[in-house]
Amino acid sequence: MTKASGSCPNCGAPLEYRWSSSVQTVCEYCQSLVVRTDVDLKKVGVVADLPLDASPIQLLTEGHYGDKHFIVAGRILYEYEHGTWNEWHIVLDGGRDGWLSDAQNEFAVSFPVEVSNLPSPEQATLGRSFSWNNTRFTVVSRTRAHYAGVEGELPFEYWDKTDVTFVDLRSARMDFATLDYSDDTPVLYIGTLVDFDELRLTNVRTFEGW
Amino acid sequence: MPDGTGRPRAAVQAVNCPNCGAATAVRTFGHAVNVVCQSCRSILDAKDPGVTILQKYKEAVPVDPLIPLGTRGTIPGWQPAFEVVGFQVRQILVDEVAYRWREYLLFNPYHGFRYLTEYGGHWNVVATLRSLPDGDHLPGDSGIRTYQGQDYRHFQTATATTVFVLGEFPWQVRVGDQVAVVDYVAPSQLLSAEVNADKEVTWSLGVYAKGKDIWSGLSMPGQPPVVEGVFADQPSPYQGVSGRMWRQAALLMALAAIVWIAHLFTARQQQAFRQALVYNPPSTQDASLVTPVFELDGRASAVQVETASNLANQWMDVGYALINNDTGQAFEFAEDLSYYNGVDGGEAWSEGSPAASFTLPSVPAGRYFLRIEPEGERTGKPVGYTVTVVRDVATSVWFLGALMLIVLPPLMTSFRAAAFERRRWQESDHATGKSSDTDKDDDDE
Amino acid sequence: MSKVYVVYGLIVIGLMGTAQYRGWRLMPVNETRTVPKSVRDNPGSYRPVYGGFWHVSGGK
Repeated sequence: MTKASGSCPNCGAPLEYRWSSSVQTVCEYCQSLVVRTDVDLKKVGVVADLPLDASPIQLLTEGHYGDKHFIVAGRILYEYEHGTWNEWHIVLDGGRDGWLSDAQNEFAVSFPVEVSNLPSPEQATLGRSFSWNNTRFTVVSRTRAHYAGVEGELPFEYWDKTDVTFVDLRSARMDFATLDYSDDTPVLYIGTLVDFDELRLTNVRTFEGW
Repeated sequence: MPDGTGRPRAAVQAVNCPNCGAATAVRTFGHAVNVVCQSCRSILDAKDPGVTILQKYKEAVPVDPLIPLGTRGTIPGWQPAFEVVGFQVRQILVDEVAYRWREYLLFNPYHGFRYLTEYGGHWNVVATLRSLPDGDHLPGDSGIRTYQGQDYRHFQTATATTVFVLGEFPWQVRVGDQVAVVDYVAPSQLLSAEVNADKEVTWSLGVYAKGKDIWSGLSMPGQPPVVEGVFADQPSPYQGVSGRMWRQAALLMALAAIVWIAHLFTARQQQAFRQALVYNPPSTQDASLVTPVFELDGRASAVQVETASNLANQWMDVGYALINNDTGQAFEFAEDLSYYNGVDGGEAWSEGSPAASFTLPSVPAGRYFLRIEPEGERTGKPVGYTVTVVRDVATSVWFLGALMLIVLPPLMTSFRAAAFERRRWQESDHATGKSSDTDKDDDDE
Repeated sequence: MSKVYVVYGLIVIGLMGTAQYRGWRLMPVNETRTVPKSVRDNPGSYRPVYGGFWHVSGGK
């Protein structure tokens, strides 16, 4: 891949990829979505201003997942019938990528998991259970959502606005799983639900009056 | 332009109602989906308030929330501060009677949302569950659900209707919305499931709280609403008390038994006097007599006077006075003796008893004699009888009385605890002995 | 609350022990009075308090 710093292909401003795993970033000056390939930096679109949202997390917020420290590198804001939620792209010390999801201040950290024979969207019905990683997960919600904005650096190219299906699963303990049907091949993310206090966040967003 | 290291501080917003023009504060920084105009109570689209009115009130009776919107403070069981941002009144219909309760939506920009529910002065602090109870993802309408190792018993299944809303909500609200609600209890907790039309289930857990704790955490003036009745997850004031008292009762009864047995062993049961006498009924002379003087020694204690006769198909009343020879103090009592027997068609029968005894309490030491006056049928046979005086007899009546007194308080506590639980379950789907059932039985007969 | 109960129980046992020791009776025998010494010479002159006998059903 191209190196970590260069110029925005649209406006020429200095552009930097802070994290080696990042594929996509947003030019701060012209709001272009820039994707880096083996050869060069390519503009793939323009990102609009993010709608008003209430996440207490922001880019460069730092936190902890268990004993591992992480930093927030980017985000995807999703919109669905009943509102929005955020998927914050986090990078743990050591370089591993993960996702911190924030849906009305209910937080979960999850990581992509390689599992074969994932169910199709039609198969993952409400109340149905699946077993992955020796844990029994039950489908608790199915959501049709589309992306409403991106920010910062992401580990893949993402800016498509078409509706995709997400299936959320929970266990009897604090396990959390999501089936992401954005691509042709579904992707499974597995992790845990976490409390705001457990994340031990620093550099969080500030709110008037709080 | 922010470089990602710090976005501008999120600001409190206000919206202007397209219906009446009044301004209403929006306190949840982008969470709100609906906001209710504080003046005309139209429900507005918080994402697009200038244009879209989602529902208008017609005639709803306005309710003033006891805890005003914007109140901020701490709630029992949670450390961060929360602010009241929404309020709704919901109701269920049971046997065509509407039961209304109030819900307050609380918000903290970092910790999210909580709820306070209030009914009849009973409060619950509620948070939605993130992990699931064991078993089926849909709630049933009976039995037990287990969550994190704790069993919860089914209390009620009902359809809840929203009848009033105020403030803002991170979901769509409409007056008239209906949702199935299933409650399970394990006092002091309430496990609740709400099932919407799409069969999506939201589980939440409520913890019972007292009004005064809510009031002090939120620095509310005045008094919280008065408590009425027993609420589903209200902790019993007798919890644990019953078991403890019964354990203490067992120890007390053992101690009483030891004291009683010691008494049985130390009572001297000493014969102080015995005399054989004869009573001759036909004799016209005065039958009263006095015995020789005898000694009752030791401490003041019980004295037992036994009368043993050879009565056969006769009765005899004996009047006694135990008289202190020195002080003249007299203890009076009487024995009515009768004894009849025979053989009737091959079976022997008997009635009454030819012997009796009487116990005098706390007779002080001293020299005593008995004055005895027998009386019987004029035509009766002579009766031989023996009078025996026993000093310092043992008695069990106090031991039995003490056992009863010891058992009484734990028994009363157990009754009260059971009565409390009956009152709790009277409000549930599983109330015992509904009066309508008995009426029906009567009609069927 | 249950400390009160234990104290109550101990008082009950204390009273029980005293009653047994001192020969108390549950319902007082309210028949005590002073009689003159002459009753030994003339038992017939003594009149019980009640006109007839104070009847107590006999039996242990």
